[in-house]
Amino acid sequence: MVPPDWSVTTIVVRSTIETLMIALAGTALAVVVSLPLGFLAASNVAPSWVAQPVKWLLGFVRSIPLIVVALLCVSAVGLGPFPGLLAIAFHSVGMLGKFYAEEFETAEQGIVNAVSGTGASWLQTLRYGLLPQSVPQVVAFTVFRLEMNFRDAAVLGLVGAGGIGYYIQLYVRGFQYEKVAVLLLVIIAVVTVLDQLTFWVRRWVR
Amino acid sequence: MRLETTPPPETATVVRLDGVHVLFGRTLALDVEELAFGGGERVFVLGHSGSGKTTLSRLVKGRLRPSTGRVTVLGHDPADADARKRRRIQRRVAMIDQEFYLVPRLTVVDNVLHGCLGRVSPWKSLLGWYPAAEWERAEAILEEVGLAGFHHRRVETLSGGQRQRAAIARALMQEADVILADEPVSALDPELAEDALELLVECVARRGVTLVVNLHQPELARRFASRLVGLANGRVVYDGAPEGFTAEDAELVYRGQPLEKKRNGQRARQDVAAQAPRPDLRLVRG
Repeated sequence: MVPPDWSVTTIVVRSTIETLMIALAGTALAVVVSLPLGFLAASNVAPSWVAQPVKWLLGFVRSIPLIVVALLCVSAVGLGPFPGLLAIAFHSVGMLGKFYAEEFETAEQGIVNAVSGTGASWLQTLRYGLLPQSVPQVVAFTVFRLEMNFRDAAVLGLVGAGGIGYYIQLYVRGFQYEKVAVLLLVIIAVVTVLDQLTFWVRRWVR
Repeated sequence: MRLETTPPPETATVVRLDGVHVLFGRTLALDVEELAFGGGERVFVLGHSGSGKTTLSRLVKGRLRPSTGRVTVLGHDPADADARKRRRIQRRVAMIDQEFYLVPRLTVVDNVLHGCLGRVSPWKSLLGWYPAAEWERAEAILEEVGLAGFHHRRVETLSGGQRQRAAIARALMQEADVILADEPVSALDPELAEDALELLVECVARRGVTLVVNLHQPELARRFASRLVGLANGRVVYDGAPEGFTAEDAELVYRGQPLEKKRNGQRARQDVAAQAPRPDLRLVRG
């Protein structure tokens, strides 16, 4: 492992950036889908005949292992980063949707009633009465999920879904541990930066 | 039961209750044969805890439907089954809850602007946009309640008295015809309570709308009300001028008034003895 083989740095950095992009795009897509699903699954927002099935659906999505999702996406769409993005997004929706719903359910109902009592529509009440109460937790968990998704995306390359995973398996199987060392160092660097970013974002949103 | 009715004001009836009973399980929370509030009245409702003051507010606001009887606000049912009609009527009734229920994370001005949600464009407001006229109105109201420099302060950083004023500002922003306040000064010390009520009454007088305040303190009610309603065990035991509300009436209201069941055609007797209000009251026509 020592000394690290720095000749592969360019390739490694480029594919790490690709992994990061997969994680970002996948998480972003997941958020867009999970927010409305989260509202629909919250028992204080949607009637129970809507909330219960949606909760069940989210549980179902959550229970499929990420690798299985990735393999399905790869066989459906082909190799490369795009199936990786889809797999990350799909898997995250299960977690984010459930978390958002639970967060919305803990909101103070008195405040929601006060806003709706001004004559606001249902959507306005959600936007101004419910959502502002939940924003810090929603953002905190989303950013945490982003960090996890980066690590997951790194692994997905093993099944051909793009990113650094391809090189991990290439060098490990080829016993080229000096190159694996470079890989690990780059990954550690990115995770550390992400960690710091999540801390700043959470403090900013309070 | 002592009833002293004041002659109805010239202006139209704004709030009306007819034969209203509210039952929670087997508890009779409110039993009002007839009650009407006119435009511009400053009605202060006095009563012990559990006397039905909050139930009355919730009925007028439309958060609750009576078990029997009818509640009419500005000629319509505030708890109408149709959501659109309900919203339209509820927009004209502003409620200041005991806990204020402002959004703590948001700024004062954001909270006040919520008052206009009923009348701004629904789609634009979802993106966080309010018309300039509403911003100006919000600023004017904040100045009126004495929170001029507090626009961008988060509500969670405000003191109790300041939050009270922010809640009043939000209610005023609604430009409602009826303003309800459920024990607005319970959380404030006596001096602040008087200031807050004075502010509320001044703002309401300036607009000429109806004010209905639930209160514990008879002295404050006597000072600010144009009409005083006393509730005990869900029934109206006093309805008239604040000057006529004697210490005896205060005792009636605060120590409760247990009713005996109607027996052999006799009228139910009313006792001023200090007994705790009984939880299971049957419907008795007194």
